[in-house]
Amino acid sequence: MVSTKEYFQNVWDALKTTAIGMRITGKYLMQKPITVQYPDERLPIPDRYRGIHYLEQEKCINCLACARACPIDCIEMDAIRHGKELEWVAFTLDYQKCMFCELCVYPCPKDCIHMGTEFALVTYDRSELNHDLLSFQGMGRGARIRMREAQAKKAAKEKAKAAAAAKKADTEKDADEPEAAGAGTGGDE
Amino acid sequence: MTPPLALTALPQEQVATTPNPGGNALLDLVNKIGPPEWIPDWIVALHAVGAGVGILIGIVSLIAMYSVWMERKVSGHMQCRLGPMYAGGWHGWAQTIADGVKLLMKEDMIPTGADRVLFIIAPGIVLASIFGALVAFPISYDFYFARMDLGIFMILALGSTTTIGVIMAGWASNSKWSLYGAMREAAQVIAYEIPLGLALMAPLITLGTFSLLDASALQSDWFGMKWAIFTNPANLPAFVIFWIAALAETKRAPFDLPEAESELVAGFLTEYSGIRWSFFFMEEYAAMFLMSVIAAMFWFGGFESPATWALRSAGVEGGIFFGAVCFVTLVIKAFAGVFLMMWLRWTLPRVRIDQVMTMGYKYLTPLALLCVLIAAVSEAVKSLLF
Amino acid sequence: MVEQTQEYKPSIQPSEEGRVLPSGEREFFFDVSTSDLEVNMGPQHPATHGVMRVLLRTDGELVTGAQPHLGYLHRGAEKIGENVEWLQYLPYTDRYDYLAAMNNNLGYSLAVEALMPGLEIPRRATLIRTICAELNRIASHLIAFGTYGLDIGAFTPFFYAFREREWIQALFEKICGARLTYSYIRIGGVFNEAPPGWLKEVEHFCDVFEEKWKEYYDLLALNHIFVMRTKDIGVITPEMAYDFGLTGPMLRGSGIDFDLRRDMPYMDYTEIWEAGAYQIPLGSGEKGTLGDCWDRFDVRVKEMIESIKIVRYCLGVIEPGPVLGDVPKVIKVPPGEAYVGIENPRGELGHYSHSDGGKVAVRCRVRGPSFVNLAVLEDLMPGTLLADSVAIIGSTDIVVGETDR
Repeated sequence: MVSTKEYFQNVWDALKTTAIGMRITGKYLMQKPITVQYPDERLPIPDRYRGIHYLEQEKCINCLACARACPIDCIEMDAIRHGKELEWVAFTLDYQKCMFCELCVYPCPKDCIHMGTEFALVTYDRSELNHDLLSFQGMGRGARIRMREAQAKKAAKEKAKAAAAAKKADTEKDADEPEAAGAGTGGDE
Repeated sequence: MTPPLALTALPQEQVATTPNPGGNALLDLVNKIGPPEWIPDWIVALHAVGAGVGILIGIVSLIAMYSVWMERKVSGHMQCRLGPMYAGGWHGWAQTIADGVKLLMKEDMIPTGADRVLFIIAPGIVLASIFGALVAFPISYDFYFARMDLGIFMILALGSTTTIGVIMAGWASNSKWSLYGAMREAAQVIAYEIPLGLALMAPLITLGTFSLLDASALQSDWFGMKWAIFTNPANLPAFVIFWIAALAETKRAPFDLPEAESELVAGFLTEYSGIRWSFFFMEEYAAMFLMSVIAAMFWFGGFESPATWALRSAGVEGGIFFGAVCFVTLVIKAFAGVFLMMWLRWTLPRVRIDQVMTMGYKYLTPLALLCVLIAAVSEAVKSLLF
Repeated sequence: MVEQTQEYKPSIQPSEEGRVLPSGEREFFFDVSTSDLEVNMGPQHPATHGVMRVLLRTDGELVTGAQPHLGYLHRGAEKIGENVEWLQYLPYTDRYDYLAAMNNNLGYSLAVEALMPGLEIPRRATLIRTICAELNRIASHLIAFGTYGLDIGAFTPFFYAFREREWIQALFEKICGARLTYSYIRIGGVFNEAPPGWLKEVEHFCDVFEEKWKEYYDLLALNHIFVMRTKDIGVITPEMAYDFGLTGPMLRGSGIDFDLRRDMPYMDYTEIWEAGAYQIPLGSGEKGTLGDCWDRFDVRVKEMIESIKIVRYCLGVIEPGPVLGDVPKVIKVPPGEAYVGIENPRGELGHYSHSDGGKVAVRCRVRGPSFVNLAVLEDLMPGTLLADSVAIIGSTDIVVGETDR
């Protein structure tokens, strides 16, 4: 049983603490809310935000460092090497698995994979979550021109060399084989 | 039988301020227009009743709708949020309409193993009881659905019928959580009917009437500020007790034990969805409004305010404009009460069931009795002095 | 009319000793045997903080038995640790106790660093680690505070707690880019240098938080209804706390002065303690019995302000410098075994790492505080009311991600 003093103490405490609580909630009722109306108004996203990746394809050398660093193997990449130029086949990142830990970003020797500030991963189908990070498939126009120029240069060099060797062979009759063509300079382009 | 002390203390001619006691304003209106002789009286009466029910449903829906919107805005701003902002444009005013449409469109689900009949009629009983109680709610001095000398009795009696519907809902849902909610509701409402009624005794003694219209008319002095809460020292504590009991009656936090979201999932509402669920929801807000109307009528002057006093002294009494001012005054007072309920809800934690019982029986009931005693004594002293 | 030949004996007898109510009153009741109701609280229930299931036996509102069931969020985190490289396991540690990911990162990193004696952790890295861990402790306790309010039925404190937590998350977002699963504290230091102006922002947060903290206390902790709901409920006596191996606020709520930051020091906590920067709040039985729900709640709320003091101390002594020790790109850990326990917001988070000198751990064991603290539920719940059982689950402040791992 409660004593008379406790009885009235209880009544008083209940009323007093309720009034204190109501003062606090009433104070915030008068203040401006801290939330924003989301799609119309957005809070700034910091630079280091770990969102959906983006890739600087020109820099990438297909070294697989990021794929190896990934704890859940969600990065897959493949490219065909034409000398210095890369013909990209695929660079996909599976966002069903990705946990945005940024471990793929640190080991990159060329600093070409980054995490962006995009975060919306809403799709109609799960397969759409397998993002292709390449902005263009195969080789870009510039790369093709550069490769063609390089090949033309190389062919010219070889021609000159062959001519020189032929001259030499003419004089010495002991010609070396001309240097083998650069690895992988493909015929399809 | 001698009338009670407080009633004898009042000048009797002051009580009958409104004409035609016991009538229905709509029926009077129809009779004034004068229906053709060949239409039987009962058809005329039925039409008047139908019109009354229509108006009532409109009022309840509007009140429930805007109370819900208000609740969401008030809670949002108390919690540093915005609340609904999108539907309808200005501060999401149409949010509740959108919600209502959504609830109407939802699949009507009745759980397997539920008692189908009870499950279906429970929301109806809940809503009907609150409609019935609202019949006693006067719109102005001249416009009312029913002028009853015992209006407050009628409201209390019909208002507590809700409990039956809630218990039916809890039992019929075939869910253990629902059953808990229903049992809690039963215990709680029975416990709090007593202090609710007793606390109402204090202003009833002060004013000396059970009629809502008369209670309002009796508080018209002092430039429209002769409110019961100022005229008797017991009325303020009685109001506090009434308010706590009213929170318990309407199942509002801190007494929302029948729903108790964190304990009983959603209590008796667990298995309800769609339009049936929204009936319970409408009942809650209509009941809040009704309790606030009672408080406004018996403690805070009802229709009376300096505005109505000014109109009356300017000679404008009766007529549509005066009625509108009366109605707006009452609605403002009632919504202030609804706001207070919301404010309390978003401040306080929930009480435990044994504490609810302790509070009802050990704290509120004796204190309410004390209030009645003080009210009666002070009225007696007043009648002796003046 | 039948003459009564013998003394009338009711078939229902009042029990002699009655039962003791939570308020200390003794209630005599008729010993009517009705069948108990078995109720599944969870796995989807608002009060179980995730996907825990508690099987309750109830007699009306009275709970007569409770059996927690785990495993709904089991992801095999320890086994994964034996299959991925040392650094690759770091993101997985975020996911045990997702409310205190910084502390998990820290515990794992310390356990691995204990096996690498040559590794020097720069002082700035240590201090940034301390700041992050303590800020995360505040964030975690804010959740505990807010959700406990929700359990008791007060909605608004939850939003106030989230408001401040959001601020902490924004700070973490600036320093590491993530809001919940940070992966920031790594083996050998931390991943990034703090961005310019970050430490100033932390200081500003500390100033504002101290003001807001008083409001929390008034709004919820001292509210009469809240006190009535939580005092004398779920009393854990000090002996019981020892027996169950409780740690963290659950232990300190019972008045036992034990904090790993002081008693099994790691990083620079010894220095901070000796500088007198913080105290260890203990349950005092101020409102009811020692070790009741209110005491545990009170310890958590007061720990927030102590964490602010630690952050302030670190901000005072921090100096520019490197933030990452000399760690190779692919970490190879020398053979050995190490156990490091740190003071997580929920108690002792122990990481045991066993290496055979390779790139991958041989065994990666985690001692989750929530899991150990949860064991006490079974003993606390019987004899309480249904609403109290919710209050007791809330006061243990479990994170199901950690109990199940």
